Amino acid sequence: MLLEWMMDGHAILYTGLTLAFWSTILIVGICYTIFDLGFRFDVAWFLTETSPFMWANLGIGLAISLSVVGAAWGIYITGSSIIGGGVKAPRIKTKNLVSIIFCEAVAIYGIIMAIVISNMAESFSGTTPETIGARNYQAGYSMFGAGLTVGFSNLFCGICVGIVGSGAALADAQNASLFVKILIVEIFGSAIGLFGVIVAILQTSKVKMGD
Amino acid sequence: MGNTAHTVTGGDDQRWPCSWSDQEHYYPRREIVRILLSLPSSHDPEQRQYVTASPYWSSTAQVPLLMWSSKSLPPLASPLAGHITSMEELAAYLTPAFGSGPHTVLLFLQDKLSKDDFTLFGGVFGNKQESAFRNLEAALQSSSSSMTFPALEWTGESAIPSLLQEKLGASPLLVDADTLSHLSLNTSVSNLLLINLPYCSGSLKSCKEVLSDNDEVMGKVLSFLKAKDVSYTAIYTGLQPSQVISRSSLLNQQVGRTLLQAPGAVVRPPIIYNMSGAPCIMLWAQSLLISLPSSSEWIDLAAESPSLSRSMCNSTNSMLVLNFVNYTLSFAMSQRFYPVSARNWFTLDSVQLQVHQTGQTGSFIGSRGIYAPAEYSFRCQSVSSFRDALLIPSNQNTTQWRLNFIDFQIQGFGLSNSTNFSYASDCAGFFTAGIWMGLITSLLMLLIFVYGLHMIMQLNTMDRFDDPKGPSISVPQSE
Repeated sequence: MLLEWMMDGHAILYTGLTLAFWSTILIVGICYTIFDLGFRFDVAWFLTETSPFMWANLGIGLAISLSVVGAAWGIYITGSSIIGGGVKAPRIKTKNLVSIIFCEAVAIYGIIMAIVISNMAESFSGTTPETIGARNYQAGYSMFGAGLTVGFSNLFCGICVGIVGSGAALADAQNASLFVKILIVEIFGSAIGLFGVIVAILQTSKVKMGD
Repeated sequence: MGNTAHTVTGGDDQRWPCSWSDQEHYYPRREIVRILLSLPSSHDPEQRQYVTASPYWSSTAQVPLLMWSSKSLPPLASPLAGHITSMEELAAYLTPAFGSGPHTVLLFLQDKLSKDDFTLFGGVFGNKQESAFRNLEAALQSSSSSMTFPALEWTGESAIPSLLQEKLGASPLLVDADTLSHLSLNTSVSNLLLINLPYCSGSLKSCKEVLSDNDEVMGKVLSFLKAKDVSYTAIYTGLQPSQVISRSSLLNQQVGRTLLQAPGAVVRPPIIYNMSGAPCIMLWAQSLLISLPSSSEWIDLAAESPSLSRSMCNSTNSMLVLNFVNYTLSFAMSQRFYPVSARNWFTLDSVQLQVHQTGQTGSFIGSRGIYAPAEYSFRCQSVSSFRDALLIPSNQNTTQWRLNFIDFQIQGFGLSNSTNFSYASDCAGFFTAGIWMGLITSLLMLLIFVYGLHMIMQLNTMDRFDDPKGPSISVPQSE
């Protein structure tokens, strides 16, 4: 069975890529160490030389895209179950749309946060770390962090609601009284997306980019 | 007649370069016309100049001269390829070489010698074992110093013996390998030992054998002298060139290509400040350009050589003060231990420029961008105060001053008795900030793409309810 797994093209590709990546890192690291060039590995240089705009926009992009991935995944899981279950039990169609709406809410959180964060991005005129100033760096990193927070929370929230919704649809198809109980589970799942939004708002509350 | 339009590089040579001869040597397939030039050996400079300034009759007679010594010969920049050394240049070189004290000079004078002999018989095409000059090569390599003049001008008769006689103040003593053993050398006076070697014109032996025999003779003589522990200088040259190419006027073409190597730029040595005998601070820059507030032109300070008074260096601080005629440029460096990285780093704290005339001073802070571990040197292609500035003006009035150091390398600590820079920590890293930013975003997007692609690629159609033996699905065409 290992042989069958190895014969799988995906596995070979991923193994190869992972091996190439880690061996590059390892060899570069070893060379830097033995030639006493470790001082050139400078994380502070990286963090101060990369533009705060990159971080801010990465945050905005990740906020919306990861949320949408979560929502899409959830809808895909729930939707296929509703459609499949609805063949034999058409009555479940209307009631189970609420699961789809819970998944969609996650995407709405994402886009709202993305718009809120992108409104904070302003231009500044510095070019060196001293002239850019600490406030702009803080703004860039906060926006990145907020985007990451809301994105990943919504991603997992969406998946969670989707799987629970799928189970709810199929259970409803079997036994109509189960649906309301399962809806409570879905509500708990949906709350975690909201937590992400709240934390992201807190992160960007002190952001002030610009001169 | 006039001069042709082709350029002469190497302006110190008053003659036209004899480019055709070199070309002939590289293309032996061409018919080589051997004409024994019998130019009047005139010492009249004007007449000589008239003869050789003609582009249609260029003198191509040259004889190589190899010189090696068990003592150290004065250094001379190796002659540029294609440059024909004149007798005056040789005389000017031999004067300091044989100036002080008694010398024993061995002159191996072969009847004829040209560069072609080395090319043909020297095993230069990868067949070293067939070389006819093995002892010569060994002697050149094992000598403490050697000097080669690949093309010494030859104007009818060899002036080498008379030149050496004049420089050494001793008359030549004709010896050969056998009589040398019976000779007792008086090393307190200069001796000129002349050994005549034959060439292969008309002899029964092949050229290679003749040259190999000559080489044997040279080897014997040199080993004899080495055994006697006599310090000698040996010269191997020819009375005439063995192959002479003459571009006589029947060709009547203009020379199109000169093969004279252009002299390369001389590289300045670094500025070294010594403290108690050992070098302490070193600086090198291709140019130190400064621009003052009043003018908009650049002044290159690296062209002048400064005095280094008022420089100081101790274990934590180094200050290099370059005192030029009108300016003073000083570099202040400091080093200390930084606990997070647990090593010593040095920074170029400030660069100060002072104009003597007006007394104005401009000072720039360099500690932000110019740093390196204290054992290493710092090197940057461009250290400037205005474009990707590593030097920041310290106050408002200094902003009108501008500095631009090109190919700048500095070291203020860690030099231990050697005048070489330590490893140069370059200001440019392997990846720039922009490359990192591009790499991060594109790798992130690539990761997302690969993840999505993986998910889609592992979607399969359901085959749980497939029944290969059952009836296949039929879609009726009509209602």
